[in-house]
Amino acid sequence: MSAVKRACAALYWLPSLILLTDLYTLKQVSGRSMQPTLNPDSSLLWRDIAIFEGLLTHYYGRYRRGDIVAFKSPDNAKYQLVKRITAVEGDTVRTLPPYPDSEVVVPEGHIWVEGDAFHSQDSNLFGPVPLALVNSRLVYLIWPFRRFGSSTSPANRGVHPRVTPAGGKIKSRMF
Amino acid sequence: MTGPSMLPTLANDGEWVVENCLFNPDKLQRGDLITFRSPLDRTRTVCKRVIGFPGDVICVDPTGVYAPSTEHVKVPKGHIWVMGDNAAYSRDSRLYGPVSMGLIQGKLYARIWPLKNFTIFRNPTTYLDY
Repeated sequence: MSAVKRACAALYWLPSLILLTDLYTLKQVSGRSMQPTLNPDSSLLWRDIAIFEGLLTHYYGRYRRGDIVAFKSPDNAKYQLVKRITAVEGDTVRTLPPYPDSEVVVPEGHIWVEGDAFHSQDSNLFGPVPLALVNSRLVYLIWPFRRFGSSTSPANRGVHPRVTPAGGKIKSRMF
Repeated sequence: MTGPSMLPTLANDGEWVVENCLFNPDKLQRGDLITFRSPLDRTRTVCKRVIGFPGDVICVDPTGVYAPSTEHVKVPKGHIWVMGDNAAYSRDSRLYGPVSMGLIQGKLYARIWPLKNFTIFRNPTTYLDY
């Protein structure tokens, strides 16, 4: 009988567990593309760990220029990339070399993402990213401790020098 | 399901279908019906037919509405080319280009309502040898 009870209890708490894991997740960031914001010293052995906000960001559509987001790589759905949003829909971006056109208007429902470091696999390689591929936004850096706190510093809130904003707003409300 | 883009396979309104969300994306074939998050609007899920896979060379628009019918494009890695069955009333890859495989949500399995039109969707593709 107690086994049945335990199973019932597990079933009862399962939805809230799923909800919690969808709300906030821990992610370990590897790679050098977001230097100096993330993984500033790649010679050290650890990688940065950060809290990512999933459902709430999605629900309210809180994707703004300057946010760091995690999204599925458009080329390979098995990998996730962490990059900074530099432009939202309607903005005009002056692109960097790998991209075929010199200037591009970010289409409806897409964002333009770039890494902070120079050599990074970003929108200059694969073009604008559909928002449906984005699953969470970085809210806090928690490891290493000495850099504990918000990592999207206000200094980076300004518009990127290669971006002409159009005042476009991303459609909010998911459901 | 609502919308005219998949006529005559799926009706404009009032049909219910079963989709398989746990299908293996590696086993996807040309001609399969899939649902995916719209690249234009992340809040919407749309249903289209798979036309091309990474590496395929595709005629952008055979009807010549969105692009001249002579224009061809190679589908990039990790993307697929999708089209609605009702080309005149469909916003598909002709408009927004190849769709990333990460957007795919499921594969349509069968139509269950209305009952008299119960169908299990079979792959209609025939490959021509030449």
